[in-house]
Amino acid sequence: MRWRAAIALATKGLRRRPGRAVLTVLAVTLASALLTALLTISTTAETRVLNELAKGGPLAGIKVAAAQPDPAQIDQDNAQPGAPKDLDEAALARIRALPSVRDVIPVVSTRMLIVAPSENRDGDLVDPYLDTVVGVDIGSVPNLPVTLVQGRFPAAGSLVEAAVTEGYLQRFGLTRTDAGQVIGTSLQMAAPQAFRNGDQVNARGRWIKVQIVGVVAQEAGDGQILVPAEQIQVAREWSLQGIADDRFDTSTSPYTGLFVVADGIDNVGLVRNEITAVGYATSAPENLIASVRRYLRVVEIVLTSIGSIALVVAALGITNAMLAAVRERRREIGVLKAIGSRDRDVRRVFLVEAAALGFVGGVLGAFTGLLISRFVGGVVNGYLAEQGLRGVQLEVPVVTMAATVVGATVLAVLAGTLPAIRAARLPAREAVGAV
Amino acid sequence: MPGATIAVRGLTHSYGSGSRRLGVLDGLDLDVEAGGYVAITGASGAGKSTLLSVLGGLDAPQAGQVVVGGHDLHALSRNRLADFRRDTVGFVFQHFGLLDTLTALENVALANTLKGERAAVGRRKALALLDAVGLADRAGHQPAALSGGERQRVAIARSLVNRPQLLLADEPTGNLDDDSTGVVIELLESLPADQGCTLVVVTHDHRLAARAERRFRLDAGRLLDTSVPGSVADTTSSSAGSAS
Repeated sequence: MRWRAAIALATKGLRRRPGRAVLTVLAVTLASALLTALLTISTTAETRVLNELAKGGPLAGIKVAAAQPDPAQIDQDNAQPGAPKDLDEAALARIRALPSVRDVIPVVSTRMLIVAPSENRDGDLVDPYLDTVVGVDIGSVPNLPVTLVQGRFPAAGSLVEAAVTEGYLQRFGLTRTDAGQVIGTSLQMAAPQAFRNGDQVNARGRWIKVQIVGVVAQEAGDGQILVPAEQIQVAREWSLQGIADDRFDTSTSPYTGLFVVADGIDNVGLVRNEITAVGYATSAPENLIASVRRYLRVVEIVLTSIGSIALVVAALGITNAMLAAVRERRREIGVLKAIGSRDRDVRRVFLVEAAALGFVGGVLGAFTGLLISRFVGGVVNGYLAEQGLRGVQLEVPVVTMAATVVGATVLAVLAGTLPAIRAARLPAREAVGAV
Repeated sequence: MPGATIAVRGLTHSYGSGSRRLGVLDGLDLDVEAGGYVAITGASGAGKSTLLSVLGGLDAPQAGQVVVGGHDLHALSRNRLADFRRDTVGFVFQHFGLLDTLTALENVALANTLKGERAAVGRRKALALLDAVGLADRAGHQPAALSGGERQRVAIARSLVNRPQLLLADEPTGNLDDDSTGVVIELLESLPADQGCTLVVVTHDHRLAARAERRFRLDAGRLLDTSVPGSVADTTSSSAGSAS
């Protein structure tokens, strides 16, 4: 018998007892939905937790400071840098050429005088203050541990746009939920240049006015203002044209730091060691991430086990339904054999019936599970929004859904094997059924 | 294709075991020539259906030799036996044996489908056979929508789809009213001549048995020839068959 004929016979066989078929499929659907929902929620939670740990950047991200490494701390997540050491183009090229390094993003920063024409919540004017302004290649922002709270990042290469951090908001007594209040406002920044005026050292500034276009969640380096790297380059050149002045702490290092992305979380330690060997201090939350991942893995195993147990229970339901079908269809099986079916033909028909129950239940369950996880995600996002936190992003778990469908089908085939063997072994005389 | 010859020697068959052993066939002999039409009667439980099952390869002979159409059934493996049933034998059951979920056309084509032939070929053959039994217009109906006589005619059409050499009918009129019985009897009677097959019918119906060339009564595990009025032979031979 060809597969096509077996499928046609199996389909008709299932229609024979539609109520039983529907209930069996329902059991598989519920189990598959539970498994899909649990795995989707678990995966989303893992992504969210790890994203928080990596501060929105890649998990395999490593911060490199313009400083020498402290040998005693090279294995620690938040290793303190040693003595300052310039990070120049040559060092950048060496680090970029290291094995297992996927990307290297330079970070530049400089101290600037900030004049924000805003009042704080009490109505008092905020005094001008010195702060570190951080510059990065805006095109590389997706690979940096920086995420938007509201608004957008400055346009690449723009000299008139900036983003600020939550620390900046706090200067005005604002929280992240008030981020919209600063977007669209302007501030003035002055790159200082010290110069000798007789016996005195005075300072003058190169003033620029920028518009705040976004608020970011993490501190951009050590500063509260994030601008395109070109802005910092211009400011640094101006400051370095003056004489040295401790008040402005203008580093001679061309780069303040680097953000290095390893080609996998498992290679972070290796890359850190290599960068240490080059002579620079690094930090990365690799130990914390590894520890959290272990815990999340345990949670995932527990949830998968719960879903799998439900699926096994559903599979037992398939076995039960199929055994009942074999009992009821003894004469039909006998007739099939009387007209020439081989054992394998009968076995094939019943296995296809079992597979169909598993497949249909698996497909329905996978989509139902997706709907359930979306519903749960919506409830969670509502809670997070109330807390002023960013919501979770629930993606369509294609792999999980496909695995659920395949798993349900395979399990159903296994569950149908015993009834199929029993059906195949029934003697052909069942067709006559009498002495 | 010519009908199958049947040669049975010393066929013994029983059910159960030990003290509960129930002997049904006891050293039965039977010879049927190709194209013959044989009717077997007997009391309920005499073993008529068992004999039919053994002749058709539904049940393995426990002792003795059964050769049908040149196939020694004792020597055939399960798969070869299935092939034998598919290619050599056609069955007509008292309960019709139609699959409820299939249409008349699909039921008839089923045996052809098992052969692995293309569905279109099977449908064409099935439609021709349904036409031959006068049910072409009922091809799309499921068994539940057919009368008993129509169902049995569909079953007869199905039994012929692979052009069998041997047609075995087990109480083919057992569930039919008088009118339908008449139609089925006419149909069965025409088969040896029209299809060239050997026909063995197990029946309680005297009208059906009377149409056979040879008639046997199964009693105490043996066949008694009742073909000649007033005679019961232990060993009889004729153009249609012989038995002991």
